[in-house]
Amino acid sequence: MLVFAASDKGGTGRSVTSANLAYHRALDGDDVCYLDFDFGSPTAAAVFDLPDVLSEAEGRGLHSYLKGKTGEPLRVDVWARTEHPVLRSRPSGSGRLVLLPGDRTGGEFVTDEENLHRCVDLVLRLKREFDLIIVDLSAGRSYAMDLALAATSPRGGLGRLKNRWLVYHRWTRQHVMAAAELVYGKQGIVLAGIAMGHVPDALNGSIRFVRAAVPDLESPLWSQVSPAQYAWMRQCDKELEELAAGRGIGKTRVLSSIPLEPVLQWQERLITDEDVHDRRIANNETWQAMGDLAQRLTDDKFWGQL
Amino acid sequence: MTGLGTTGGPALVCGEVRTCLLPTRDAVDERTAVELLRLRADERVRVSRHPNRHAVSPDVLTGVDCLLPTANGTRVRAVGTVAARAVLVEGRVLQSTAYFRAPAKGPDRRQPWGYYLVRPGTLVPVGRLAEKPVTEGFLTGHRSGELDIGSVAESLLARISRRHRFLDYDTPLTTADTALRWTAAPADDGEAASLRFTKADDGLRIVELRLPRGTAPDVAAGLCEDLALHDWLLSTVNDKLDGLRVGADDGTAALKVLRPLVDHLLHLWMPQARVDRALRTTWAELEEDAGYSRQWHTLAQRVRDQLTLLHLTRRDALATP
Amino acid sequence: MSGAETVFRETSAEPRTESVPFSHLSLELGHLYMEDFVEGPSRLRRHFASVRPWVDAARAGVGPLPAGRRPRISTCFLIDDYFSRLSTPAELIPPLLAAAAEAGLTIDYLARESGCASPSPAPGEAAHRDRTELAEAVLHRLVELPPPGSNGFRPPVSRTGWLTNGRRAPAQRTSAALDSTGVVWQPPGETGARGHSVFMDVELWSGPEEERTWSCAFLASVWQLVRLGLLRDNGRAVMTPTDWFDKEFPAEWDALPPVLKLNSAADPFTAYVTCSVLPARFLPVEHAVRVILDQVHVEDEAVRMVAERSAGEGFTVPAGVVDRTSYVFPPGL
Repeated sequence: MLVFAASDKGGTGRSVTSANLAYHRALDGDDVCYLDFDFGSPTAAAVFDLPDVLSEAEGRGLHSYLKGKTGEPLRVDVWARTEHPVLRSRPSGSGRLVLLPGDRTGGEFVTDEENLHRCVDLVLRLKREFDLIIVDLSAGRSYAMDLALAATSPRGGLGRLKNRWLVYHRWTRQHVMAAAELVYGKQGIVLAGIAMGHVPDALNGSIRFVRAAVPDLESPLWSQVSPAQYAWMRQCDKELEELAAGRGIGKTRVLSSIPLEPVLQWQERLITDEDVHDRRIANNETWQAMGDLAQRLTDDKFWGQL
Repeated sequence: MTGLGTTGGPALVCGEVRTCLLPTRDAVDERTAVELLRLRADERVRVSRHPNRHAVSPDVLTGVDCLLPTANGTRVRAVGTVAARAVLVEGRVLQSTAYFRAPAKGPDRRQPWGYYLVRPGTLVPVGRLAEKPVTEGFLTGHRSGELDIGSVAESLLARISRRHRFLDYDTPLTTADTALRWTAAPADDGEAASLRFTKADDGLRIVELRLPRGTAPDVAAGLCEDLALHDWLLSTVNDKLDGLRVGADDGTAALKVLRPLVDHLLHLWMPQARVDRALRTTWAELEEDAGYSRQWHTLAQRVRDQLTLLHLTRRDALATP
Repeated sequence: MSGAETVFRETSAEPRTESVPFSHLSLELGHLYMEDFVEGPSRLRRHFASVRPWVDAARAGVGPLPAGRRPRISTCFLIDDYFSRLSTPAELIPPLLAAAAEAGLTIDYLARESGCASPSPAPGEAAHRDRTELAEAVLHRLVELPPPGSNGFRPPVSRTGWLTNGRRAPAQRTSAALDSTGVVWQPPGETGARGHSVFMDVELWSGPEEERTWSCAFLASVWQLVRLGLLRDNGRAVMTPTDWFDKEFPAEWDALPPVLKLNSAADPFTAYVTCSVLPARFLPVEHAVRVILDQVHVEDEAVRMVAERSAGEGFTVPAGVVDRTSYVFPPGL
């Protein structure tokens, strides 16, 4: 399966959540590869704790590949190369976890037929080796997104691959509106996709939203707030839910909500079982939510036209 | 077509084979195999049904004019065409081979293109070839700007993979591609065909062959396709059985791994199915040193034993009230 | 190598290539547009009268042949029924043959340009679905000539439907603001130019891929390859002449086989080398034909057959396909 991770704004937790998603699927035995298409600000190497990869990818990353400057984009075996102490010992029964990093100095580029061809060739090749391919797109309506839409359109070469879109947004007024605009707006994913030949129902049915950094008012984190604060926050939450529903991104279109996680506020990283149960620095709810997201990604009952 | 090491024939033949699982749920039938490999409308796909089903595309050519990789930095420029062909084994495993032959010397300047097109699959050196440095350089890998034969093989795989009219991209198991890079030089008179096989990282295999004088380049390519296919099969099954959790649950996880092996791969082992008799000593060497067939039969037996056990365990579980 | 030991063979694994007969020279007596025919018989008479002396010169130029050998020469004429059809075979062909005869010329073979584009029927059968479009088959046989530095990774950037004799000027793909490399304009170049370039970019076809319109230059290249006996369709000969001796001509072009043999005593249609006597206005087209022919990889077996046969009768055939063609552009055509 091919999964595109998109968001309208930066700071939505798109990269860090997608990386955790990849990690969970690999733990479950899937062969997973993660493509960092966030040209200009590739962050995946940092999330997977691969400090040397950024400089290694210079001239050999995905951006160079798409531009035709290298024939073989760099691949990094996360289990073998990570500096993360827990990740270094690959659990038995787990699948492969491979990162294809972007080039730091890549920047955006104009898509053309050649880029499209290379993108299609690469994905078809990775499809043979991996159960799950996660493509992390830059924030906003980017050329990378156009490339993804063009490649997955019926005539684009990846039209027959099962593909899904995850749109990340934070749980605030601005983020909800921006995410709805990104998908359903005039320049949005759906209309742009239809213009490229996508079947509207199929495309719509393959898009779900992931709410990130959502404050769970019942969690111990908020147990100290005053009744007035609590009531105000409840009201905000309710209004946000109404706003989301009105913009077409209500609960039925949400694949998962990731609770506000203090660890991720401090550091963009993978949350491991050990962080939750041994070191107790991360919340079990976060671990659970990431796991749910990973399960629902391939569970057809969460997908399709509603 | 003149053979390796003969007068007027090539002094060296080099190539690279890429091997992968065809991106379909099931193996394709012969008709689809022929359609997939029909790279040119006017030339036949060669089909052979014994001892297994095997289809070979016509050769397609890629023009090049560049330096050949050399071990010692000698500058050897060559002009001509690299030939590439695709092979489908039992409608299941797809291979693409890019290869070329090179004579020991050529004209001192580039000739009109027509000169090279009537020598398909030949890279003619501008001047002298320097066989040894080229052999070593080729096997080590190219530097930027030098001949990149792997890309020629890969682009043929990509071209076939894009034919989505015939492909559903829903493979029953994930497998890693391999690249087998090879060179063939003429053996001394009376010396038997021999090989040196190196298994490197990241799916790279390196094979240095010495073959009887007169061996046709496509026959050498056929040998390497056979080596690559069996090495790929062995690596794939080995990978799948590595860390297999047999006692973890009711066996569902193990079954998920084992079943596709039986359905799709175990029947494909057939070394030297089409290898020319004079070249079979190479396989004998490989068997002696690396014990490919011994290992394969052990792995295959293990897969079958595990499935039998799983079956028995499940039946017992059902029988127990 | 171990052929003598082979005890088992499969014919589906061993492709066969049909052989064709060869003349020494295939001599083309001209090429006219439909519009030229409309001008009437005097236009045709003028054409053949101008062609005649050059035909004699071309005949005399065949060789050298081993002592005592008679040169085999066949003449042909191509009618353009692909781009326009102003007239019918019944109206057009008889005056054409008469005009040629008046100038003392015999048209041995008459071909339709559509035949180079469409599937080639076997003699006596209608165009068959499993037969390949000739032009498309040739399109798939193009191997673009590599400018120096081509190493197989990025084959020369091909523009769909076009073919050059060198390197195009790089297109401005990236806006300067986005690309730090700051590409400046570079001129196109002819590969293997002598000093200065004569760069040519040939349009092979136009229109949507499913219903291409082939260019005149591309069909003329196919025509040359047909005359040189170098094309096969899955091993079978293509555009094999159909006997048409003293027969009426139909009212429909499609009712006519692609190549007619009009003269029962003619030497074979296909030949080791070709010569075309053409009006000078075809010069740019034929330049394009040479650019194309220089990049067609013809089936090895077909090339080998020509080499073997010609060597057997002591006739020298140039190795390169393009070198097997020659032209005369006489004055006054």
